[in-house]
Amino acid sequence: MTSVKQSSHFPIKWRLLDAAERVAALVWPRQLHSYTGYLLLVPALLLVFVLVIGLIYIGGYSLHELDLANYRLKESFSLTNYYTAVTSTTYRTVVLRSLYGSFLVTVITIFLAFPYAYLMVRAREAMTRKFLLISLFLPFFIGQIVRAYGWLIILGKEGLLNNIVTFFGFSPLELIYNYPAVILGLIQYMLPFAVLLLAPAITAINRDMELASESLGAHWIQTFIHIVLPMAKPGLIGSSVVVFTLTLTDFAMPEILGGGTTDFIANSIYDGFFQLSNSGLGAALSMILVTLGTAFVVVIFSIAGTGTLGFSRRSK
Amino acid sequence: MENSPPLVELIDVSKRFGRFIAVDNANFSLAKGSVLTILGPSGCGKTTLLRMIAGFESPTSGEIRINGEPVQAVPPYRRSIGMVFQNLALFPHMTAGENVTYPLKMRRFPPQDIPELVERYLGIVRLTGMKDRRIHELSGGQQQRVAIARALSFNPDLLLLDEPLSALDKKLREEMQLEFRRIQQKIGVTTINVTHDQREALVMSDEIIVMADGAIQQSADPVSLYRHPSNMFVASFIGLTSLVKGTVVQTEGTTVEFNVDSTILCGNAGSRFEVGQSVEGAIRAEQVRIHPEQTRPEEMDNVLEGVVSEQIFEGDRMVYQVQCPSLGSTPIFVFDHDPTHHVLHRKGDSVVLSWNVRDLLVYPCR
Ligand SMILES: Nc1ncnc2c1ncn2[C@@H]1O[C@H](COP(=O)(O)OP(=O)(O)OP(=O)(O)O)[C@@H](O)[C@H]1O
Ligand SMILES: [Mg+2]
Repeated sequence: MTSVKQSSHFPIKWRLLDAAERVAALVWPRQLHSYTGYLLLVPALLLVFVLVIGLIYIGGYSLHELDLANYRLKESFSLTNYYTAVTSTTYRTVVLRSLYGSFLVTVITIFLAFPYAYLMVRAREAMTRKFLLISLFLPFFIGQIVRAYGWLIILGKEGLLNNIVTFFGFSPLELIYNYPAVILGLIQYMLPFAVLLLAPAITAINRDMELASESLGAHWIQTFIHIVLPMAKPGLIGSSVVVFTLTLTDFAMPEILGGGTTDFIANSIYDGFFQLSNSGLGAALSMILVTLGTAFVVVIFSIAGTGTLGFSRRSK
Repeated sequence: MENSPPLVELIDVSKRFGRFIAVDNANFSLAKGSVLTILGPSGCGKTTLLRMIAGFESPTSGEIRINGEPVQAVPPYRRSIGMVFQNLALFPHMTAGENVTYPLKMRRFPPQDIPELVERYLGIVRLTGMKDRRIHELSGGQQQRVAIARALSFNPDLLLLDEPLSALDKKLREEMQLEFRRIQQKIGVTTINVTHDQREALVMSDEIIVMADGAIQQSADPVSLYRHPSNMFVASFIGLTSLVKGTVVQTEGTTVEFNVDSTILCGNAGSRFEVGQSVEGAIRAEQVRIHPEQTRPEEMDNVLEGVVSEQIFEGDRMVYQVQCPSLGSTPIFVFDHDPTHHVLHRKGDSVVLSWNVRDLLVYPCR
């Protein structure tokens, strides 16, 4: 009990902390300490749980056909919604367009993002690095919708670009409400994500690796292909997955820049729920989207190995 | 052979980073087949010098020549230089064999020769059979060997080693020093080795350059560097050296007498001194003899009385730190190699120190 006597000489802050510790020990006994890490997982697990519940409900909806008599879902189970989604050429076109668009956006975005990220990490002048970093974060402060309208202002029928074109006496160009406009908007939207995911992977490559490669006789292009790219694989896989899935599920860009002409799956889902009031069909489309996205991620990771996410043990 | 140009030649090479001078007017040349070690404390510009030779940095002023040709405009991948990095920089996504293959492919060796060359160099570094191991499946010493094999496999004119041994523990490091000497002698490749380990420098090199603060202090073969350090920095950097400060009272030929605190010491002067000039004397620990109090060493020129203030047992020898009242507060270090350890001097024992005049080197004060 001497320790108690001594503790009265301690600063009040210490004594408060001691008290707090004693209370904590009552609530969370020492024996449970090895599980503390798991406790921190609880919020994340709850969120995922809620998501799964939502998914189960949507899965449930998707199995009921719409009763055109009263615009309610029928009681009976059927695969009619899936049948409609798969056989209708409209939906097949939408799905293929989304997949192709996601593929295109992913490839182009990674292609553009890699040099950007590389320069941002390796530039000699601190000023250059800072400039690139700030330009990267700027778009994050401007939401996706605002950016889409930004494109409208530039590319629209009476937009900046067409003003210039008509000024020189040409007829205005059709620059928006088409597929390329959507792709362009999506690339611009995805670029910062890709750069942010690539930069740490490039930072992790010791500069000496590149110098070593050069001193061993490799031109910088060879160094890039044989050393930098393979070593940046985790970042490439990670950013590809993120860009692909974000694009596949995107709603705003096809909506605003496509103007209804180039719907992606998310737009069709929206239409299913709110235009056609056919929540069964919308739900079926949602399930298809989730399946496609999951399949993509699973395929990529089974090819590349989860080790690319940094799960494998690294030796120093 | 006489008139063939040196393999590497540095002429007034300097490197500045902003205002900071990392390498200050370096001049040296290196003959084919020899091993040069650049020795100096951390941050003295060793790596910078090496990187300029490899072509990763260009000198702010001066010229580097390889095989007599200025290499200013030659990019690293066109220089015939193998480099082993301070952190090895082995490619982790390749096997040991692929690492060694890499330079051969990049330098367009005939594909049919490559497997044989890889086997051969892995054999030279004694890694036969480890070809398919991933880098992280190799021990530190084995990784070292892969890095050396990779740097040698394309038969470069010059091999650069940037302290590749510094990360290893003492025993492995000493093993690798000998191992490296064996490989170097077998292949005969011209080598520049960088280190701050004086033992490594003495063991491995034909010639040593001592650097401090970006400037070359001395360039000599290991023996003369050790025996005749050209200035105070070199004398104190190599070996365990005691330093005494004093004022010159008399000079006579190469012998100089100088006053330290309450005694006069006799030393060997490298240059001319004026009476009254401030000087520093340096004496190596192995050149000081230590005797029990009662003995009077006859043949020695400098004899001092002192008290043992520290006694450090290093296994193969005993190191004494002795405080001599007549020298003020400066301690003198002594190695005692008495193989029988019959005469042990304990802390607090009175002892007599002695040494030869020619072993006390006198330099002008820095
Ligand atoms: N890119 C750079 N920009 C600015 N200063 C630098 C740069 N590279 C090196 N220096 C400075 O130059 C000096 C010499 O560096 P260098 O790496 O050559 O030292 P070193 O002798 O190899 O040291 P160590 O033994 O610790 O490896 C150091 O003071 C370092 O801070
Ligand atoms: Mg260094």
